[in-house]
Amino acid sequence: MAYPYASDREVRVISEYFGDPEARTLDGAKRRGRYKGLEKALSMSPDDVVEVVKASGLRGRGGAGFPTGLKWSFMPKNYDRPHYLCCNADESEPGTFKDRELMRWDPHQLIEACLLASYAIRARHAYIYCRGEFFETNQVLAKAVEEAYADGIIGADVMGSGHEIDVTVHVGAGAYICGEETGLMNSLEGRRGEPRTKPPFPAAAGVFGMPTTVNNVETLCAAPHIVAHGAEWYRQWGSEKSPGTKLFCVSGHVNKPGNYELALGFPLIELIEDVCGGMRDGNALKAVIPGGSSVAIMDADEARRCALDYEGVAACGSMLGCASVIVMDETTDIVKQVRRMAAFYAHESCGQCTPCREGTSWVTKILRRIEEGRGTEEDLDTLIELTTQMVGTTICVLSDSVAPPVQSSISKFRDEYLALIRRGERVGAA
Amino acid sequence: MSGSVPYRNPGWAGNTGEFQLSEAQVRGDDFVGTRPLAGGHASGSASYPYMLEEKRPDAPLFEGPYQDRLDKILTRYPDKRAALLPVLNLAQEVRGHVSPETMDRVAELLELPRAYVRGVTTFYTMYNKRPVGRFLIQVCTNISCNLCGADDVMEAFLRYANTEPGETSAEGDFTVVEAECLAGCGFPTCVQINSRYYENVQPLDVPKICERLRARGR
Ligand SMILES: Cc1cc2nc3c(=O)[nH]c(=O)nc-3n(C[C@H](O)[C@H](O)[C@H](O)COP(=O)(O)O)c2cc1C
Ligand code: SF4
Ligand code: FES
Repeated sequence: MAYPYASDREVRVISEYFGDPEARTLDGAKRRGRYKGLEKALSMSPDDVVEVVKASGLRGRGGAGFPTGLKWSFMPKNYDRPHYLCCNADESEPGTFKDRELMRWDPHQLIEACLLASYAIRARHAYIYCRGEFFETNQVLAKAVEEAYADGIIGADVMGSGHEIDVTVHVGAGAYICGEETGLMNSLEGRRGEPRTKPPFPAAAGVFGMPTTVNNVETLCAAPHIVAHGAEWYRQWGSEKSPGTKLFCVSGHVNKPGNYELALGFPLIELIEDVCGGMRDGNALKAVIPGGSSVAIMDADEARRCALDYEGVAACGSMLGCASVIVMDETTDIVKQVRRMAAFYAHESCGQCTPCREGTSWVTKILRRIEEGRGTEEDLDTLIELTTQMVGTTICVLSDSVAPPVQSSISKFRDEYLALIRRGERVGAA
Repeated sequence: MSGSVPYRNPGWAGNTGEFQLSEAQVRGDDFVGTRPLAGGHASGSASYPYMLEEKRPDAPLFEGPYQDRLDKILTRYPDKRAALLPVLNLAQEVRGHVSPETMDRVAELLELPRAYVRGVTTFYTMYNKRPVGRFLIQVCTNISCNLCGADDVMEAFLRYANTEPGETSAEGDFTVVEAECLAGCGFPTCVQINSRYYENVQPLDVPKICERLRARGR
């Protein structure tokens, strides 16, 4: 049941109970099969659990698409020091709204997943770093955690297995950069959420200086299903390199925006035309951002031939990211929207690195100038050069995220920039 | 920009025809109910911060039930520093904003340098560094909402409250600010008022929402 709309093209693995308030309660969740995957995992060795996840080909849903089983296998295979699991529930990438739905409709799925992952990486404590703005979601999640503690699912003796695992909901305080894994760890330690330089990598020295794994909510939620049904079962969907299902957050100018869980590789145009009920007012498609605000914009032609998996989107010059599909129709003012995204990065830059701190605000200022009709053609070259210099020169990739939307929009919608610039010239001359 | 994207549900996003849910069910209120101040397991100790309508800048910090919550928070982390954010959340819940005095008090409590606590507090946008109105209205104007007319919604709130962005209306009821993406992008425009999300908000809904707030507090 995708919420708030449903489609029969969906494959509902992790979103099955969206829109079903009973799934929130422990009883309801158990009746719906929650904690079966965990039970099975506890009967296996931690390393076998990691192997199953590895074999399933599950990739990180937080944006980078890193293979999850491989990430888990980097953790030390002993209990010498405390290990930690951090569930990244800081969801703040513009266009992304899946983790909030996963937590507020099916909190026990996430709790089960955190326990399972903790077991696999030998962690005794899982922190769910939840975005501070999610007050309502936090209440739901915290209540579910309490219920699970009371039932002996979390705590000193997880489901009678003799293993001790705690789960804590940790609430952030409003900073996009705390979604970056090392920023998240600093924030969890009670510091400014400034990303750290790597190495050391989290699996060696993460939160509180201990081995740590950071995973997105959606990534974790898939794991219990994989363990319960097997890697082959998960591979029935998607492709060799991008197996499984994924939540697509569709927003913008479609008739039925929402979260839809689809097999990876689903054609983008069918997602818009069929699943989402087409473009609003029957308007023509102009552009699509396939993976949240930090990936390249596609024009309508590219969107028509794009298949939604990691490789398919890359073949169209963009990135799947966290599959936040932002759809724009012919009435869209591209320059304004790109400026709005740039302003977001300028606001959210943590300020540690000069190219990022200065670059994001200059890009925004130049775009604003163009938007207001005071730009020049050289400004476009400046934007390209500036954003190019922001790639690969900073501690984290927030800085790199500005280049794709700015550069792709200039190359694909140059006419719009030029129209604003030329109109400006005429106004100036008159 | 106006279109016929189905904005049928001012205030919440549940009744699309395919889902006939009550507002409480969509929000999860029917599951959680009203959280008791002192209730709950320490695991949620991130406390259950809430942005209360009543803001009492001079209220004592960490007394009675708040002391309980503080004690629980401290059990959840390997060191005191890690409790800083949850404790600041709690302080803001009690007082409505985090003043320099509040920061100093928290520093003392967690045995951290004062300057350190100030540095951390000012890093995060959710800590109000100065007092806000009874209702803190945060309008998302980021891309997905912007495509569906968020600037007009922002404008409507400002007009109704008769105030400037970031400022509080004369009678102290409304502080209106522009916010970054609230992760409700499929239900544009997404607006957060105190602790609560209002989704699918259109300019026309604004007076209704504000009147309801004044009358019922939510
Ligand atoms: C600036 C920035 C913001 C990020 N925000 C998030 C986020 O909100 N949620 C998330 O899950 N990952 C986010 N990430 C990705 C994380 O750093 C990390 O890759 C992810 O949590 C790993 O989990 P996964 O392997 O399950 O995808 C962000 C990365 C960057 C650079
Ligand atoms: S790239 Fe930007 S956000 Fe990332 S660490 Fe540097 S300044 Fe901070
Ligand atoms: S863009 Fe408005 S909530 Fe995400």
